[in-house]
Parts: sequence; C-alpha cells; structure tokens
Amino acid sequence: MENREKIIEVKNLEVTFQLGGKKTLTAVKNVSFDIYKGETLSLVGESGSGKTTIGRAIIRLNETTDGEILFKGKKINGKIDKETKKDVVRNIQMIFQDPASSLNERATIDYCISEGLYNFHLYEDEEDRERKVSQALADVGLLEEHKSRYPHEFSGGQRQRVGIARAMIMEPQFIVADEPISALDVSIRAQVLNLMKKFQRERGLTYLFIAHDLSVVRHISDRIAVIHKGTIVEMAETEELFNNPLHPYTISLLSAVPMPDPEIEKNKVLIKYDGSEHDYSVDKPDFVEITPGHFVHANQKELEEYRKQLGI
Amino acid sequence: MEDNRFTFVQVDDSLSEHIAAPKYSYWGSVFRKFFSSKVAIAMLVISGFVVLMSIVQPMFSNYDPMIAPNVNNHSMWFIGPSLEYLFGTDNIGNSLFDAVWSGTRNSLFISIVATIITTTIGTIVGLFWGFSKRFDAIMIEIYNIIANIPTTLIAMIMVYALGGGIWQLIFAVCVTSWVGTAYFIRVQVMIIRDREYNMASRCLGTPITKIVFNNVLPYLISVIMTSVSRDVPAFISYEVFLSYLGVGLGYGKASLGKLISNYSPYMTSSPYLFWIPLSISAILSVSLYIVGQKLADASDPKTHMN
Repeated sequence: MENREKIIEVKNLEVTFQLGGKKTLTAVKNVSFDIYKGETLSLVGESGSGKTTIGRAIIRLNETTDGEILFKGKKINGKIDKETKKDVVRNIQMIFQDPASSLNERATIDYCISEGLYNFHLYEDEEDRERKVSQALADVGLLEEHKSRYPHEFSGGQRQRVGIARAMIMEPQFIVADEPISALDVSIRAQVLNLMKKFQRERGLTYLFIAHDLSVVRHISDRIAVIHKGTIVEMAETEELFNNPLHPYTISLLSAVPMPDPEIEKNKVLIKYDGSEHDYSVDKPDFVEITPGHFVHANQKELEEYRKQLGI
Repeated sequence: MEDNRFTFVQVDDSLSEHIAAPKYSYWGSVFRKFFSSKVAIAMLVISGFVVLMSIVQPMFSNYDPMIAPNVNNHSMWFIGPSLEYLFGTDNIGNSLFDAVWSGTRNSLFISIVATIITTTIGTIVGLFWGFSKRFDAIMIEIYNIIANIPTTLIAMIMVYALGGGIWQLIFAVCVTSWVGTAYFIRVQVMIIRDREYNMASRCLGTPITKIVFNNVLPYLISVIMTSVSRDVPAFISYEVFLSYLGVGLGYGKASLGKLISNYSPYMTSSPYLFWIPLSISAILSVSLYIVGQKLADASDPKTHMN
C-alpha cells in the first residue's frame, strides 16, 4: 500500500464559504486523504456533508481557505501559475451529477464534446478533431449521427454518456465523479457504472467517486471515506469498512442500507447518530490509522474501545 | 421440442441508440412556432404594411414640412379626408397623407436606431456586469445614479444642449436607456451564470469570454427579444412625448410626435388632423409590440417541444 504512487494528496483541507457580510460557513474542515493511482476512492455521506465541495475544490471550482491539494506532488489549490492550471484541466476532469443541466442546451453534441479540444487545440486539423469526436462517441456507445443533435433530444443515460465522453476526450488521469448516477433511471445506472469501470481498466484511470448510495459504492470502490459534517470520520478498504465499521456514524449509515429481503427489513433496527456519543471537551479527537489502511476519527478513549473491539 | 430448432438472435445495441425524431433546428423551430399563431401573422402584416408605406410613400411625395405651396390658398385648408386627399389637408394646405408617412418614417427610424444602440450596448455591458463582481460594484452605483434622475429631464437637457436633429435626439434618448437594458441582462446572466453546464465549461478550460458568448448569450435570445419588443414601441411613444413637449425634432423634419403636437389645437375643429397620426402611432406601437412578444415566445426553446 505504502509504495503505491499517490496521484492526489489532500492535506488539512478547509473550505469556507462567504455567506454575504461577515457570516461564513465552513463546509469542509481539516480533511486529509490520499488517492492512489488506478484506484477508486468513494466519498460517502449525507446531503450537505461536504462531499461535493471536496470534489469541486480538487478541480478548482471551489476556492480553498486552508490546506493543500497536491496532484502528483505539485500544489494545485490556491494561486498557481498558468502552466499548472492547464495541467489541472488536462489531467483532472469531472463527471457531473445532473445530465440534464450539465450540457449546454444550445450547442450540438459535436461542440459539447469538442469544447476541451478547442480550448487547448488538441487536434491537428478539422479532420483529426472529427475523428476524435467520433471515437469518443463510439467509446461510450453513441452513434456518429448524434453529432449534429442537441442535448435535449437525448435520454438521461445518453446525456450522461455524452458528459463522460466530453471528459474522456481530454485523456485525463484523474476523474472526479460527482454522484454520476444519482439522477439516472435505475435501469441504466449499471450501464453508466460499467462504462466507467471499462474506462478505468483500459486507461488506468483514478476515480474520486462521490455518492450516497452504499450498495453502489460497495460495487465500484476500492476504498471508502465516510464524511460527516465536513469531517472524514472513517476511511478504509471497502470490505474492511463493511465488515469492521468503527465510528458510530459509519455504523449508523450501514444500518440504513436497504436489503432486498422483507424479512430482514421487517426486523431491521436503525441506529441513530447525532454526535452526542462523543465527549470531545477535554480529550480532542484526531484522524488516526488504527490498523494498516483503516483510519478513524476518534480521541484516545474511543481509540482504546475500538482497539478492544478489533481484538488488538 | 429440440434445442437445435432455436438459434441465438444477435442484438444490435446501436439500434436502441437511434433517435427517430427529425433533426432539430433552432431557427427553423422559431419560425414554425411564430407562424403557427394567427395573431402574430395578422400583426406582422399590419406592422409590415405601415413600415412599407413609411418607406415607399415619402419617396414619391418628397414631403417637406417647410414647403407649403398652398399656404395662402384658403380653399386648400382643412379639406376632410376624401378620395383625392385620403387623410385630408392641414392648416397650411399640405396633404396629411404625405405628412403622416414621412413622419412615420422619421419616428420609426429614430426608434429602431435607438433600440439597436440600446440593445447592443446594454447586452454587452450586461453580460460582463453579471459575471464580474468588481465591475458589478461600480456599475450598480452608476445604475443607481442614472435610475434616480428622471430620464425625460436628461433627454430634454441633451436636446437643448445639442439642438434638435434626428441624430441628436437618438443620442439624447440612448445616453441613459442602455443602463436599464444592461441591468435587465445582468439579472438574467446571474440566474444562469452558475448552472452546471457553465461549471463544466470551466472544468474544460473554457475562458470566461467564450463562456459568455457561447454558453450564456444563446440562452438570452428570447430575453433580448422581449427587451427589443418593449423598446421599439417605447421609443416611438417617447419621441411622440418629447416632440409634444416641444423638445423633439427641430423645424424642417416631420415625425409622428411633431404632427400630433402641431395638430392638437385642431382637435375639435378638424379632429382627423389629430386622430389620424395618433392612430398610426398606436397601431404601429401595438403591432410591433405583439410581433416582438410572439417572436420572443417563439425563440424560447421550451415552446418548441409541442
């Protein structure tokens, strides 16, 4: 694990929003994690927990107020030079949540997909550009004839695939997927997920997958980070997290996953979490690696209990 | 049954991706939608007729308010509308028919040029106003100052200072009117500025100027059309209003406003002199406004789906 190449390093990230006047809102505080090359790290948490904010901070849509984000060891947040900015755009792309609003309705699919190519002139001539667009369309299972169509003529799944093609044509190394299937019909979610998996296999992509649907997350991710109110409370490899959840919020989240079995559902006890379990007045919590690769946000007293639980 | 009687069927995935609907064309749909309305066609015909008359008729009549051959010929004064003089003659024996179309031409010219200037400046300023926070801080103050000074006062002072020609009048009305359009566009830009597709463009490295013209401007077509359809009649009325107050065009030029102002003393004795120019002004304003509104509706793609 340790000797794997880190593609993204987030260190003590803080994002604060100005709410007009002197009021501020700290959406994300003291968040640190690494993403290794070729893996899928999922960020799960409830609405408003700061998942999207972290994703957008990495891709420079949200300004950061504190901390560092490194891409291949190079700082990419805050003030950076033009070359690095270009580098970020070329190498980090985003797949948006809502395919209905993330495409320019007044532009043809041809323009939507070529936009990035135009900005950096990533083609030799017009013919080369057209060839690249056709290839990108074919890669996501769309047809050549779709080029001259407008986004509103497509179904949700097709639009999301246009969104994926638009990101993929830049040949990025890292992709922030911000709830890419939440707005889609259940019947086509698998299609989009499998497409993302296919690209990862073929091109060695790294994903930051933002979601709140744990069953999907389990299917797609290598590691999972659970975030609550702007703080990562637990991070571990997928099966480790599902088998040995430590933090009460993670346990509560896992207890809420629906099971396709009426008997289990009938007897299910939901575990509530409101933060009152913690007494952080004296003993301050920290983000600690309790077993190799398994991090948890806890203070010394809680760590003792967790260790006992794990039998170490 | 035996298995060998069945064969596997190949499924062609690309078939399900095919879009059966005919190709969508934005402007094609705009015109189809526009011409599907009977009111729109009727109003287009009416306004087209008035505009055409105001362009063609003065070419033949060569009307000039300073030339009055019948000024001393009493028998030519105040002849009511007849076959020879369709709109009758006025207090100096000139044909009102010639005067009205010549006046309409000038009024229309002023309002159209003023609308083009106002819309162009207003839209460009408004687009950047909506995007830049620093520009917004300055512009909002300018807007507050201009919006709180009566427009009529500014226009009157301008006309007094510059003299009463067509271009001076256009300058006088445009000097402040663009601020209103810019503010209107600014608000619209702010609404669509932070939509996801603009963020996607930023992620793809599209510069702000390109986002403004490729992503935001096309969404504003129907909003701009609404503004234009409001401005054209408003400038016609404004010209009438200013001329009526005596600060419109100078001598030697006819306009609807000047005609209405000149003939208002005869409202009771020869009412047609007052009511005909006024009716033409009203017909033109209303028909152009409705045509503009229908075009604005038609240029909104939300109306294209049915």
